[in-house]
Amino acid sequence: MGSVNLESVNKRYGDITAVDDIKIDVADGEFLSLVGPSGCGKSTTLEMISGLTTQSDGQIYIDDEDVTALPPKDRNIAMVFQNIALFPHMDVFDNMSYGLRIRGADDDIIDRRVDEAVEILRLDGMLDRMPSELSGGQRQRVAIGRAIVRDPEVFLMDEPLANLDAKLRVHMRTELQRIQRKLDVTAIYVTHDQEEAMTMSDRIAILNDGELQQIDPPLTCYEEPANVFVAGFIGSPSMNFIEGSIDDYRFESPITTIDAVELDEPSAVTLGIRPEDIYPADDPRADRTVGSVRASVDVIEPVGERMFVYLLPDAPGGQSTDGAVALDGDHLLMSVDPDTDIAENEELDVTFDQSSIHLFETATGNALIHGLKREPTPRS
Amino acid sequence: MGASPDETAVEPEAETETETNNVLERTAQRAIQDPDTVYRWLTYVGIGFFVTASLFPFYWLFVLALTPNESIAGMGVVPKGFNPGAFLEVFEVVPFHRYMLNSIAIAAFSTVIVLTVGSIAGYVFGRYEFRGRLPLLFLILVISYFPPVAFLIPLFRLFTGEVALFGISSPQLYNTPWSIVMPLSAITMPLIIFLLTTFYRQIPDGLEDAARVEGSTRIGALRRIIVPLSAPGVATAGILTFIIVYNEFFFSYLMVNGTADNWSPVLHGIFAFQGTQQVAYNLMAAASIIGVIPMAVLVMIAQERIVSGLTQGALKE
Repeated sequence: MGSVNLESVNKRYGDITAVDDIKIDVADGEFLSLVGPSGCGKSTTLEMISGLTTQSDGQIYIDDEDVTALPPKDRNIAMVFQNIALFPHMDVFDNMSYGLRIRGADDDIIDRRVDEAVEILRLDGMLDRMPSELSGGQRQRVAIGRAIVRDPEVFLMDEPLANLDAKLRVHMRTELQRIQRKLDVTAIYVTHDQEEAMTMSDRIAILNDGELQQIDPPLTCYEEPANVFVAGFIGSPSMNFIEGSIDDYRFESPITTIDAVELDEPSAVTLGIRPEDIYPADDPRADRTVGSVRASVDVIEPVGERMFVYLLPDAPGGQSTDGAVALDGDHLLMSVDPDTDIAENEELDVTFDQSSIHLFETATGNALIHGLKREPTPRS
Repeated sequence: MGASPDETAVEPEAETETETNNVLERTAQRAIQDPDTVYRWLTYVGIGFFVTASLFPFYWLFVLALTPNESIAGMGVVPKGFNPGAFLEVFEVVPFHRYMLNSIAIAAFSTVIVLTVGSIAGYVFGRYEFRGRLPLLFLILVISYFPPVAFLIPLFRLFTGEVALFGISSPQLYNTPWSIVMPLSAITMPLIIFLLTTFYRQIPDGLEDAARVEGSTRIGALRRIIVPLSAPGVATAGILTFIIVYNEFFFSYLMVNGTADNWSPVLHGIFAFQGTQQVAYNLMAAASIIGVIPMAVLVMIAQERIVSGLTQGALKE
């Protein structure tokens, strides 16, 4: 067990900055996910924590010890890799005991530790198999076993579930959480899948272009995204954005106008609203809503427990001619109960849940307001 | 074709045609209907040619070796006499075992050099991306196509000490194993580098990282993970190098003066039976057969390894 602290860590490859001045503090026993699109620097960050990649600048502490200059083997970490990376010429027992043997542990300690890991991972009777004889899930469990037998302070995982099929991935997700809780070990988990990060982590660190965007518990990231990037990245399907401007406590955009916004500086802002926070105007919850958009239903996607409705807002002045607003970015996505009575090509009014409206400064992307709190005061 | 009237009725056109045509056309008809037979026969014919072409010279060597030298003129395909003593006489007339040991030593030295350099180069080419990787690989490929004869005269001058650099003449390597080992190592090297590059490339990424996280140093990861995994490829490369060098004629013939004391390989041992007055064809044949034995044994032991090692690299690329 141990805490992990990154202090202003940088990684540059020539002119390209892969990781830009990242500061992260991971508490002892915490499960932190590093999440972001590919190329955002999350794997590089993990590799720098492991010591496989050397940072260009900055300090890394594990359990309050400066490990910046230590090779991976002296950092007391264990790592699970995306491609699993079991040693193909060793059986399961040799794979799992590799780290202990190389450190010269006694045979009975090795046996005991491996037995414990086998029990936790439910790998009974597999010890003398070769990696090629195992299924994908078993290999992944052996890789986790190899990581846990040494009782490391920090457990690093680089997209460990990415190569598994969808069903097994969901199963292994819960397995990993169970193992992490049971061992009470600090875990840093890299993934590009925001849903994986949301379900597993104590906190999520969202990276983009090598920069840390936000580091908070999953629901905080969901409900109070720090900026447009986080708002768009977390949550599936992702948030709708409407470009507009603020003038005299009023949000104005071509498709809708919202009054009583607690902002008075005239500025360009982006309104963010999640698909599940858009209701048809005749919805019973519509009394806590603001704004009104007249739109036509373009496509309906039933996915079972929800139904996604792609709306094409009528352009200002009702000029909804073909091609004028048919671009993808101009769609509003609404998520409704599957039994809602909506048909394709229907015209309807939709409105936004006022407590779930996010406003971002368009220039910087930073969040200004999460949820409109004041009672709407309709202006005549 | 014993076609009954009933069948004729079912397929009137086809049947009547086969009935009326001659043997050649009937065979052609059958071949068209059942092409597998044709392919099978063609395979037999092909294999037959190949086996005859490669084994007949060997058989011919046996015939010559068993025939006493005085009756060796005007040979047929069977031995004229039976003289197995020739296989022993070979060692009495010249120290043929010394020639063989020379050959084996030269092949072994070359193998060590080629494997040492080749596996380092193959590892780097196979596992690292670096600027100039492809141009360097192409350069090696190009060099491997240079005709060895182009190097002969400069190398000969070099090895006989006729090249001076800064007033120091090159060392006398003529009549030492190095005058054969060095050029042959250089000539074999490109092939081995290519072979090992593809081999090292197949080893999954991340294994060294995993080993390093688990507690190995860089060198330790190489020794415990990469070396064992690449052992089959290196073994293939080693066997190939050994065979190529052992079988080589050109430098082996020209870089030594032909005596066993001066590291002359097997081929000089065979030529030693070629006197000025007489040529002991039967002993030359016997010596040739004996000279083949180490290679035959090696190939028999390692044939599976060689085939799989070569195709593995080729298929995975």
